[in-house]
Amino acid sequence: MRSIILQILAVTAINLKSLPQRLWLSLATVIAVGLVVTVLLAFLSMANGFRRTIADSGAEDIAVLLRSGAVSEINSVVLRDQVRLIEDGPGIAKGPDGKPQTSGELYLTVNGIKRSTGTKASLPLRGLGPQGPGLRRGVVITAGRMFNPGSNEIIVGRALGREFEGFELGQTVTFNNTRWTVVGIFAADGSVFESEIWADLPVLQSLFKRAGAVQTVRARLTSPAALETLRAYSDNDPRLKLDVMSEAAYFAQQASNTSDLIQKLGWPLAIAMAFGSLAGALNTMYSSVAARATEIATLRAIGFGGFSAFVGTLVESLILAAIGGVIGAAATYLVFDGFTASTMGASFSQVVFNFQLSPRLIGQGLLLALAVGLFGGLFPALRAARMPIVAGLYG
Amino acid sequence: MNDLVLIRKNLFRRKLRAILMMVSILIAFAIFGVLASFERAFNAGQDRATPDRLVVVNKINFTQPLPISYYNRVAAIDGVAQITHFSWFGGYYQEPRNFIAAFAVDPENWMKLRDSDFVFPPEARAAFIRDRTGVLVGARLMEKWGWKVGDHIPISSNIWSQRNGSHAWDFIIVGSFTARIPQADTSVMLMGYDYFNETRSFGKDLINWLTLRTTSVAANERVIDAIDGMFANSPYETTTDSEKAFNKAFAAQLGNIALIVELVVGAAFVTILMIVGNTMVMTVRERTREIGVLKTLGFSGGRILRMVLGESILLALLGGLPGLGVAFLLITRVRDSLMSFVPTLSLYPDIAAAAVGLMVVFGIITGLVPALNAMRLNIVTALGRS
Repeated sequence: MRSIILQILAVTAINLKSLPQRLWLSLATVIAVGLVVTVLLAFLSMANGFRRTIADSGAEDIAVLLRSGAVSEINSVVLRDQVRLIEDGPGIAKGPDGKPQTSGELYLTVNGIKRSTGTKASLPLRGLGPQGPGLRRGVVITAGRMFNPGSNEIIVGRALGREFEGFELGQTVTFNNTRWTVVGIFAADGSVFESEIWADLPVLQSLFKRAGAVQTVRARLTSPAALETLRAYSDNDPRLKLDVMSEAAYFAQQASNTSDLIQKLGWPLAIAMAFGSLAGALNTMYSSVAARATEIATLRAIGFGGFSAFVGTLVESLILAAIGGVIGAAATYLVFDGFTASTMGASFSQVVFNFQLSPRLIGQGLLLALAVGLFGGLFPALRAARMPIVAGLYG
Repeated sequence: MNDLVLIRKNLFRRKLRAILMMVSILIAFAIFGVLASFERAFNAGQDRATPDRLVVVNKINFTQPLPISYYNRVAAIDGVAQITHFSWFGGYYQEPRNFIAAFAVDPENWMKLRDSDFVFPPEARAAFIRDRTGVLVGARLMEKWGWKVGDHIPISSNIWSQRNGSHAWDFIIVGSFTARIPQADTSVMLMGYDYFNETRSFGKDLINWLTLRTTSVAANERVIDAIDGMFANSPYETTTDSEKAFNKAFAAQLGNIALIVELVVGAAFVTILMIVGNTMVMTVRERTREIGVLKTLGFSGGRILRMVLGESILLALLGGLPGLGVAFLLITRVRDSLMSFVPTLSLYPDIAAAAVGLMVVFGIITGLVPALNAMRLNIVTALGRS
């Protein structure tokens, strides 16, 4: 047993020391594998960042009520009478003042200019009442102050202010012939709400001619389990018949389409490219075996086993692929991690998110690299193990 | 034995190696074909747009409405040749995930404006104008759901409701239409605005946008100023843009798709280029002695150069052309399931032509260094080198 291990170590060392003789071909394999891993991880970190930004925005104990079939906030309409009925509904937590903790909200889109491209983009403008911010996790004003009820004042999410022009503190913007002043910048724990502009609900309703009606109602539940009670209440009242879901479920569904699409693009592309680089790896390893034919035969002639030739070749291939994988992961980390992008979310408006690389994703990238190394080394290694001694010595 | 036979024999001397190279080239060109087609489909709106078409939307954002009265006021502006209005219906069939791109329009003027994109059979045209509850359905949408002219179909809206509280409208399909140009999207449904407006419970007399054709491109600037000036300082201000600019801005909202495509295709090509290029250098070096013999037999340097380049180009074509075939098969397979997302997805002939051009360039690049080495090879060194 010990001699086999020593043989393997000796052959592997010979293989690795002879790498510089095949420098260009080996380098091509390393870079090819590196590029495959970079492409995969760029897509996966994009999907991950988008999903985390949106899906983490939702809470389990907040219910979102939409018109049935509306799917996203921008389509939904909830009438004044329905808002009252919801406030009287079961399962809704009461605030210290004894009022139900609900927030009827308007969700509109307005134009802004994206800093990086200078192109027009649709940004969400949300009208909410005094209870609205309290129904969201970690909302804090980081600069300026909260808007005053009844005034043409807006506060702007931190991420939106970074990515889009025209919403700096103290600036005025015009919607519908009315001038609005940016009086505050807010943070919301990195959630999707940081990509929004907030204003006072009644002011927005009158200026956008939506008096009375809202688009969605949010309600704090007494517990996540109370969702079913509220849903049953809505289903049984013909005046309501709204879609009732937890905020977490709402955002998970909003995020899934886009992040699934990115992943569905990323994996097949990376696998296709992996097959391309597999061809390269096989080629490199076959020529490595061919170049060392005499050497392998000599070793065999002096008593080395076929197995050590097999392992030596396989390890060489795995090491080349692993180096490529690490380079690819490092490149993705340096270039893409934390990279800020924005895309159109489900409500025709922009969502700002960061690319997020995670240890699990890096693991997936390295696994793909090692798979290329394994298959790229396997057949050449078998050839090395089976090479007839005589042919090798005279080749 | 002519040179072509020699090139082919050389290429397949090491069968496994040749096949591996072809597989990796195949994959690179399959990626190119698929991604280039996707990018084209995303930008189809810009390609379809003709320069004399303008779009009028609410200045705040295109999702905000405009009053229907703007239709006649804009139509009366000097320099406006044809005009129609659009309202977004937010349609779905049976379930919310079965999204249907449906719009309420002025039937007669909509068909006039889109005559350059679609073919309307005369009986469909007449029926759509005549029948208030009728809808006109594009050929691909008909095919997707297996609908026929004369079918009654319930279409729900995720925005609007009828006065009786229902979210679904019963429509009769009065006709269908096909594409006149390949970029035209026939996976859409059109309904008459009058019936839609009368039956909906809110949003009365509002529309989403106007599309118009000017008398000439030269008049565009004047018409844009006249429209936006007319509604300045009103409760509904407008932004007028060329259809091309409007579609481009809309596509840009998804993010920089062109850049992503270029980066991925670039990464795939660099990978394959390195692998194939290195292998070609190695292959030709292995043949040093033989090239020496060929030269001794009287083959000129130029002829040797052509033979090596011919081999690398042949390799690129043998890998690339099937790759293009794979891209074509993939795109035809996913076409229907992605219809609502990228309606005009297709591998257009010019993309295929560009791919073939790239194959030749690819072949020349990978073969150039070994070919030059072979051409310059000195007979004495070649035969002396062991």
